[in-house]
Amino acid sequence: MDENKLDELRELVDFLKENGIAEFDMERADLKVRIKFAGAAGASAADLAMARQIVAGGVAASLPGAGAPAVAATPAAEPEEKLHEVKSPIVGTFYESPSPGASAFVTPGDMIEVGQVLCIVEAMKLMNEIESDVAGEVVRRIASSGQPVEYGQPLFAIRAREERRKSS
Amino acid sequence: MGIRTVAVYSEADRHSLHVKFADEAICIGPPKSAESYLNVPAVISAAEIADVDAIHPGYGLLSENANFAEVCRASNIKFIGPPPEVTRLMGEKSTARQTMKKAKVPILPGSDGVIESEGSALEWAKSVGYPVILKAVAGGGGRGMRIVRTPVELPGLFQQASSEAAGAFGNGDLYMEKFIERPRHIEFQVLADEHGHVLSLGERECSIQRRHQKLIEEAPSLMVTPKLRQELGQTIQKSLKDIGYWNAGTIEFLMDEDGKIYFIEMNTRIQVEHCVTEMVTGIDLVKAQLRIAAGEKLSDIVPGPVAIRGHAIECRINAEHPEKFTPSAGKITAFNLPGGNGVRVDTAQYAEGVVPPYYDSLIAKLICHGKDRTESMNKMQRALSQFVVQGIHTTIPLHQKIFDDPEFRAGNFDTKFMERFFERQAAERAEAKT
Repeated sequence: MDENKLDELRELVDFLKENGIAEFDMERADLKVRIKFAGAAGASAADLAMARQIVAGGVAASLPGAGAPAVAATPAAEPEEKLHEVKSPIVGTFYESPSPGASAFVTPGDMIEVGQVLCIVEAMKLMNEIESDVAGEVVRRIASSGQPVEYGQPLFAIRAREERRKSS
Repeated sequence: MGIRTVAVYSEADRHSLHVKFADEAICIGPPKSAESYLNVPAVISAAEIADVDAIHPGYGLLSENANFAEVCRASNIKFIGPPPEVTRLMGEKSTARQTMKKAKVPILPGSDGVIESEGSALEWAKSVGYPVILKAVAGGGGRGMRIVRTPVELPGLFQQASSEAAGAFGNGDLYMEKFIERPRHIEFQVLADEHGHVLSLGERECSIQRRHQKLIEEAPSLMVTPKLRQELGQTIQKSLKDIGYWNAGTIEFLMDEDGKIYFIEMNTRIQVEHCVTEMVTGIDLVKAQLRIAAGEKLSDIVPGPVAIRGHAIECRINAEHPEKFTPSAGKITAFNLPGGNGVRVDTAQYAEGVVPPYYDSLIAKLICHGKDRTESMNKMQRALSQFVVQGIHTTIPLHQKIFDDPEFRAGNFDTKFMERFFERQAAERAEAKT
């Protein structure tokens, strides 16, 4: 591993330690990282309190009722075109930014690539970065920050870019 | 009890009854159990976002998973069941046997560990008493297993078993257990609070099995005398109190042809057939589980002495062909449930419901209670004839045949009953052709 990558890793480890994160998983086109701190607790009590506040004050009503599918905080008007929905692969709490106060990973209008991080779903004190499975334009953010989401719940509507398939 | 509920479900169970009737429901994964119902992070994450106080693990899946119970504890969620350490202790066959042996619960006699030689085997067999079974230490599935009925055949069978085990598992070591030719499966239901009180609620007999899967269970057992029920109940209560058991559990025994009873294993959870005990004792076991987990005392949950009234029988109705036993997934087009005094149906299926192909084939439990065994059997026959399921195959016709069978009706059975029953059925069909 070259010096640059090693520095990157050191910075990452420091960042994680500073923020009291116990486990971290990341996969990018060029790099796959998994870090686990022995014996570390999860997020600090302050972070947890903040997360709880966001959940409680926010959208308790959007937890699915008996039999009804999960309802997004922003009511979705029927799209005229068929947009691709990026769905949550895990159960947890949706956050649009990497940390409170920071700007969102993506906003409507942004052009994104496959594998680009769109949001975080936090589960059991672990921040899981959710990547896009298509390239294209972000049309709409369906879930809102602090909202509990279930497996398969739509998070973003993307207008997928037409890929010209090349035969190799 | 006024407790709000959150159902977790896989995508395959989106239209399941528990999802429809729970106050809230959260999808935790795709149909494959490993990615949903057995997925501990997904279950815990759902519990956290719903902010639950406790988790009831049901039966199967994570219910006897000590790691899961530990994660619940670490996440400040009450696991409705015993402490993880106790689950681990009683979940492992050898530690469970040792624990029960120390508490003077009769266990199936066997060699302590590996048998070194044929000479040693002969001595063990003499002390255990023939017939005995030699088993491979390193594996199962019938390989490296030999039943020995006389001392004369022991040395030869010992060699055979050892070579077979060496060939199959790379290890020819053998141990020995007493072999019961025609065992009856008897199990005792217990409840324990978190304050050191344990109560035995009597036994169930579950000898009607096909390939080690129970088909029919009943309470009480025709073979358990009041004296045995009382004495074994006391011994069990003391042994579980000593290990610090909490919540519901079942201790399983085999009874030999002479009526002697031997511990085989413990299930540290509520069981499928808990309903028959509920019918004869009048005690709601699942409700008791919730109250125990909430810290209540057993003396408040079960105020008086446990009385066994009448007789109850349960039929497990599976979505399978009644003769070929091939699983029958699909859409149910008609579903009529029997009713009446002493007839209970526990089911998660309904008309227009779909039986998914991913899970266990059990779709309903039909339980009948009567003043005695004859009345409950007759009631069961009537109820089975009124239980209409169309669109899929079910084992209802099989149960109807069993309840017509003279051996079953007389109570003459052991765990080999179904084998003999199928032979009788085949013989009858052959005769009918001639």
